[in-house]
Amino acid sequence: MLSVEGLSVSAESVRLVREVSFAIAPGERVGLIGESGSGKSLTALALMGLLPEGVTATGTARLREHDLLGVPEGRLKRLRGRDVSMVFQEPMTALNPLMRVGAQVAEVMTLHGEPAARARERAVELLDRVRLPRPGQIARAYPHQLSGGQRQRVMLAIALANEPDLLICDEPTTALDVTVQKQMLELIAEVAPALLFITHDLAVVASICERVLVMYGGRVVETGPIREVFARPRHRYTEGLLAASRLTPRGTRLPTIQGSVPPAGRFPDGCVFRNRCPQAGPACETEPTLTGDGHAFACWHPGA
Amino acid sequence: MILYLVKRLAVLVVSTAVAGVVVFAFMALLPGDPAEIALGVNATPEALEELRRQFGTDRPAAAQFADWFGGLAQGDFGTSYVTSSPIGPQVADRLGVTVTLVLGGMVIALLIAVPLGVFAAVHHRDPLGVAISAASQVGIAIPAFLAGILLVFVFAVQAQALPSGGYVPFTESPGEWLRGLLLPWLSLGLVQGAVLTRYVRSAVLDVMREDYLRTARAKGRGRMGALWRHGLRNASVPVVTVLGLQLATLLIGAVVVERVFVIPGLGDLLLNGVAGRDLLLVQGVVMVLVVAVLLINFVVDVAYAALDPRLRGAR
Repeated sequence: MLSVEGLSVSAESVRLVREVSFAIAPGERVGLIGESGSGKSLTALALMGLLPEGVTATGTARLREHDLLGVPEGRLKRLRGRDVSMVFQEPMTALNPLMRVGAQVAEVMTLHGEPAARARERAVELLDRVRLPRPGQIARAYPHQLSGGQRQRVMLAIALANEPDLLICDEPTTALDVTVQKQMLELIAEVAPALLFITHDLAVVASICERVLVMYGGRVVETGPIREVFARPRHRYTEGLLAASRLTPRGTRLPTIQGSVPPAGRFPDGCVFRNRCPQAGPACETEPTLTGDGHAFACWHPGA
Repeated sequence: MILYLVKRLAVLVVSTAVAGVVVFAFMALLPGDPAEIALGVNATPEALEELRRQFGTDRPAAAQFADWFGGLAQGDFGTSYVTSSPIGPQVADRLGVTVTLVLGGMVIALLIAVPLGVFAAVHHRDPLGVAISAASQVGIAIPAFLAGILLVFVFAVQAQALPSGGYVPFTESPGEWLRGLLLPWLSLGLVQGAVLTRYVRSAVLDVMREDYLRTARAKGRGRMGALWRHGLRNASVPVVTVLGLQLATLLIGAVVVERVFVIPGLGDLLLNGVAGRDLLLVQGVVMVLVVAVLLINFVVDVAYAALDPRLRGAR
């Protein structure tokens, strides 16, 4: 349903995302994980056509029969909020502070042709669907009268309003309290059509996604079904990431990945991970390609 | 919201009273006795005493203040010690002219600043957007009276298209009224417009970085559509603050511009009063100007609450 081929994102001469390819089937839930600066959010924004000024995307991305890249803004905006929608990381600032919540939900429907009266009614239904208590009252509230978790539910209501084919969530629970996080994740898992879920939290991916893409240095370094990738990581970066998030016995040192993520444009040639990889050798100076069927990885010295 | 309004109103009333005390005290502290000014240096002590009794300036200051301030509340500004004519009607006449001048200048400033500021923000990377911000810098450096003199030189002296000064009441001839006010409006409006352009630009630039504009675009709005529907009202909150300050500045600026264009406004009345040592007249005009500034602040506070729901519950 969504297919992305050779997606690259660059700012001026710096390539921030390189040659990312993946596909999402109808109803499939795919996780996109990696550290900050790995290019996850840019990948998502590129698909939405919402890259910041001065940042451009190349490659192809198709959602059903619609091209998403290299298409004029006028055509893209008809898809946004109707065929593909997005929930952002920061619920506190994502809503207009001067507009009632109900109007902000209704707006996404009137924009795509729903009559105003019907949109207002449906806005309340949607607020109910994302399990906000007393949806009628919430619709008349302003964003500052709601909690972070409630605002994120409002964002989800906006995203779901036009029954899109694909929902993109960019760290939707990172800014929320742990107790609220879990409810939010369950809700997303329940209501999402096809889902692209971006996070750095491996446990979150494991709980709601079927497949995972691991990004590092603007590239997909490993991809496959969650269980396989998590049980038997092949790329050394994935391995390190999993080791770092595993619970360790009391008193032992927390495993970490040595070094830190280089700034954009300063990743090494060849394998992007080789300056931090304990297994790196001369072979790693050549760029490994993502190979494998189902469970694929880009590494010259894969783990067993 | 109602509680907020009541509070703001209370603040307005209290600050007006305080302003009354301050204005009165300053005028009372000034050296110079109205009776001496009226009768000159050769007056006999008996005649002075008699006149002071007539003016009421022989009474204690508190009684004089109560008299004056109580009169103000009913629109009675007292009777001039110099001309013996009531001050209230003069002030009322002149106030109308000055308010017309200031509001006209503000409208022109807004007509310039809002489109230019928004344009400069949206095109902040393009040469034209940069040029607008640079030009507005130049505008800030020019005082209104200089702009007035330049405008007179170009439109009245060179082109002879507009009168260089004078004022015709609207009721006598609307056309002449407009022609007479055009240059004064422009000289106030152009300068204030330049200042305001910069504030509008930076307010819009700030708003353009906000997450909720990205949300609006994610819903399917275009760049300009998102800015129009969600950005401008948010950007207007800081602009309203500046607008309030500027109205106060304009009021003061009008005093000078009225001189340049020979317009019988409050500023003109104030300067005449000072020149003729008409203390009670000066006191009245200053009080009106102070109250006008307080009223502007009150309106700005109410405008905040109308614009931003977050402020309605608070304070």
